[in-house]
Amino acid sequence: MEEGGLGMGEIETELPPNVSVTSASAIQEFIKNSPLQKILNWGRKNSLWFMTHPMGCCGIEQICVGVAHYDTDRFGIIPRCSPRQADVMMISGYVSKKYLPALQRVWDQMLEPRWILMMGECAISGGPWWESYSTVTHLDEIFPVDIYIPGCPPRPEALLQGFIELQKKIVAEQDRTVIPNPADGGV
Amino acid sequence: MGDEKIDKTIMIELSNTFKDAVSDVDVPSPNRAVARIDPGKVKEIMQFLLDNGFDHLSCVSGVDYPPDKMDVVYHVTSYSAPLVITLKASIPRDDPNIDSLCGIYWNANWYERETYELYGIKFNDCPYMKVLLLTEEMEGDWPLRKDYAGYPDLT
Repeated sequence: MEEGGLGMGEIETELPPNVSVTSASAIQEFIKNSPLQKILNWGRKNSLWFMTHPMGCCGIEQICVGVAHYDTDRFGIIPRCSPRQADVMMISGYVSKKYLPALQRVWDQMLEPRWILMMGECAISGGPWWESYSTVTHLDEIFPVDIYIPGCPPRPEALLQGFIELQKKIVAEQDRTVIPNPADGGV
Repeated sequence: MGDEKIDKTIMIELSNTFKDAVSDVDVPSPNRAVARIDPGKVKEIMQFLLDNGFDHLSCVSGVDYPPDKMDVVYHVTSYSAPLVITLKASIPRDDPNIDSLCGIYWNANWYERETYELYGIKFNDCPYMKVLLLTEEMEGDWPLRKDYAGYPDLT
């Protein structure tokens, strides 16, 4: 690796000849600019495990998507019950001011890379509660949202299309996920 | 209460027992009854209803009548009779407080807390008079009062 030795010079002072030292962030930077990243993205887009986290009436459609009738397994989309195993969080209902800290905590528990789908009018704008005293509007300023799926509620087919659009964004590297930087204490 | 027949004659008994505290008794339909009660006597009246078979406090809510009055509305029903009794108690708006029913109907606790956070009506002797569904920062806003300034929230 031509960028070897970045950031580690102050620790390793004397190296044997023909040996170079690299760092995790240098490796990551190398992968980002190589075809290897495309393979990684291909793997990520085909394993979009979503968290079963119904938050309102849209949750019924969300559960429907996970069952055998729509067979989302053919796209690699599998429901998971734990945020630690999931890649995708769906905000599928209005978020009250009381609930927002809990939602942020669930989001913080998910491992990167991770994505957010906004499902239904309530999540996108507040829906019928958009001017209420207890509803959080503008959730997209709090979470990095990739896909908006309008509807009240959206059909399971619409949700599936949202996932496919997310897969297209991942392949095109247009998604808003944040790959953790190892220099910040990540992987 | 066993074989005792529960019907709207309870309203006659109620107004006979509490002559000074119950007024404006009305029975608009076979399974509805309405009355106004004195806020100072609410515990005695509810204990009387509980002893006579009305074992379900269905709802506690508030109504804001600016500038000087608020109502606390109780819906009391029975598991053994199709009759809903609506009792309304008027309290002053500048110092809204009324006795808690937690010692009589155990489920009054959450109803009273919700009425408290939305209207600011204090229920004396309620064991846990804190906000229930709103955030703690919103305590003191009283969102369902008519003069609440935060609605509509157009941000």
